[in-house]
Amino acid sequence: MRLSHVTKRFGANVAVNDVSLDFAPGEIVGLVCENGAGKTTLMAIAAGELAADEGSIEDRVPVAVVHQHFLLVSEFTIAENLALAMWGRDAGEIIRESGIELRDVRRRVADLSVGEKAKLELIKAIARRPRMLILDEPTSVLAPTEARELFDVMRRLAATGTTVIFISHKIPEVLEVATRIVVMRRGRIVVDGGTMSATELAEKMVERRSDSPVRPLVNTPRHVDSRPGSAGRTGESDLRLSDLRLSGLRVPLHPGEIVAIIGVAGNGQSELAASLRDSLRGRVAHIPEDRARDGLVAEMTIAENIALAERRWRPRAAEQRAAALIERFNIRAQSPLQRAGSLSGGNQQKVILARELERQPEIIIAAEPTRGLDIEATSFVHDELRDAAARGAAILLITSDLDEAFALGDAIHVIYRGTLSPRLTPDEAAVQAPGLMAGIA
Amino acid sequence: MRARQLLIAVLAAFSAVALLALSGLVFGHGELLSILISGSVGSTFALEGTLLKSVPLLLTGLSVAIAFRAGVWNIGGEGQFLAGAMGAFLGARYGMIAALAASLIAGALWASIASALRLWRNAPEVLTTILLNFIAIHLLGYAVNGPLQEASGKYPQSDLASASLPASGELHAGIAIAVAAAIAAWFLLYRTAEGLRLRASGFNRSAAKWAGVNVNAQLVRAMAISGAMAGLAGGIELLGVTHRLFERVAAGYGYAGIAVALLAQLHPLGTIASSFFFGALTTGAGELQRTAGISSTVATFGQALVILVTIVFTRRKIA
Repeated sequence: MRLSHVTKRFGANVAVNDVSLDFAPGEIVGLVCENGAGKTTLMAIAAGELAADEGSIEDRVPVAVVHQHFLLVSEFTIAENLALAMWGRDAGEIIRESGIELRDVRRRVADLSVGEKAKLELIKAIARRPRMLILDEPTSVLAPTEARELFDVMRRLAATGTTVIFISHKIPEVLEVATRIVVMRRGRIVVDGGTMSATELAEKMVERRSDSPVRPLVNTPRHVDSRPGSAGRTGESDLRLSDLRLSGLRVPLHPGEIVAIIGVAGNGQSELAASLRDSLRGRVAHIPEDRARDGLVAEMTIAENIALAERRWRPRAAEQRAAALIERFNIRAQSPLQRAGSLSGGNQQKVILARELERQPEIIIAAEPTRGLDIEATSFVHDELRDAAARGAAILLITSDLDEAFALGDAIHVIYRGTLSPRLTPDEAAVQAPGLMAGIA
Repeated sequence: MRARQLLIAVLAAFSAVALLALSGLVFGHGELLSILISGSVGSTFALEGTLLKSVPLLLTGLSVAIAFRAGVWNIGGEGQFLAGAMGAFLGARYGMIAALAASLIAGALWASIASALRLWRNAPEVLTTILLNFIAIHLLGYAVNGPLQEASGKYPQSDLASASLPASGELHAGIAIAVAAAIAAWFLLYRTAEGLRLRASGFNRSAAKWAGVNVNAQLVRAMAISGAMAGLAGGIELLGVTHRLFERVAAGYGYAGIAVALLAQLHPLGTIASSFFFGALTTGAGELQRTAGISSTVATFGQALVILVTIVFTRRKIA
């Protein structure tokens, strides 16, 4: 199977940008990329679930995908779930053929361990006898021994001529099992094939490109020095809201400073943001990660959404205020009385920023503040965060976009399986972060 | 948006009446529509009847509108109505004002059992409020057969309440109270910060939470206010119309409030018009039964039609 010059856009976002890939029978392709790099879109195109805007796919073969999120009916037993996928065949026989161990098909899926559910998904996929099997981060929920077992299955399938595509953030695993490594960043293939060491691979993952929309930080004179709050940073005495306590680790957070927390999605970032939302008091701004669900009340107007954070509600005054903020934040809206849900993603994010930053917060918790935004909106958000820091706010930036972390962060922590690394300087992080994120340092 | 909502409401009301008239023609009762109209608004007597029916419907409708706006699915208007009626009966010995206050508090407390269960064990209020209806009905049944039964001990009903609402002829002061409540509810929802947060919690609980709204407090508050409105409906009905407690004192007003609120598109001021419509429908249906021998359940039929048309054309999600 061959993908040639495949491009897929969502609005202004280019999710997959001119990707060409050849797949040979029997190879295990390790596809490594950050979150939001376009792998899900690319795989959906390969599987035929999504049509490409440009480019073509030649020599299509039957593809089976094991998704990161389980598609199982929890109230059904293993046998019933297999019957849904493969009506009329004996469940025990399907499992035996797959070579994966899963005992007692009469158990309810709800009672299975996460690892067992993952196995069941894999069995379902293999039972369709695909020529290409795509595994989307299959090991993220598996114990090491279960992962070993999975690798054996992958190798066995490859030996029978199936192409296996193994998507993962875990560098050691990819190096162990893949016969070919592909690295994807921001919709493009940056590495295809060749052998490399763990550190080389890690470097490829964090390598920054000059045309990236965020300001490169290579030349160090950053905005730090011009900040009014920065004088207090050496003498720790006047730091009021200094420390956040997170899972036993202190995260020093100083006024005027941006601390970035980076990591592969699913390592506790969402839980961290939610617990900060529930525990922090005072003038705290939150920019939620899931903009569509948590950002704005889609059914209410822009003015109403902005006023939610305020003590008083006077419709006329709120409307005037919203109009001023629409102007200042350059939000593309017809009027303050427009429904928030009818705005584009970038403009919704600007409304959230307007609401959260206008209350002069002392702490800002920004989770994935630019996910899915185009270049213009991204740099707007970055500038606003920098300005807020310059005004003395302490900012905790939770992001899976390394460029963003390096462009904005004065200090960096890596989050992995719910625990935070010690505080790193950006220079230290450039070296250590890939390993820490992959859990190999 | 506003225009569309109004259009849906008018369409729903008209289609219900038209279908009733049509079925009247089909089954050889061409006079159905004219009796329905003359029996509800055609005379002073009929109009009075309609207004009397509209008062409890307006209050239970407000009860539902406030709860649903906050995303709280309070289906317990009937039980809260009964709690309010019992509260008013007990409070009446301290005067009319005390009786009204007691009905508000009793309704709010009865509804708050559901919000307590929701916060404590995450029990869905759709179920708990309905179940609380049955408990309230049987509590009332026990009361009018036991401790609160009339002194003569003849019927399962209480003695006359010791207070009543000021009245002129059939009409009582409850009409003014109900309309004032509708205006107050509108002010609460659309002119106060609490109302803004309450509506935000109803539309998107999660986004409201991220914006700093205490959504659990909104749930508790909305449920209590909603219960208080239904309780007040029960209190006014007792003090203005029935003057006695008996098992069927609620007469389905609690459930009918859902239809009233939905037709009003959950808007407090719209509830005034929609409660009048349903009041007229019920009163007119009573006249149909008396003069044409057509079962008064046609009113229920009309109610169901209105709800169906409203739900089908409303984009807002309902439960």
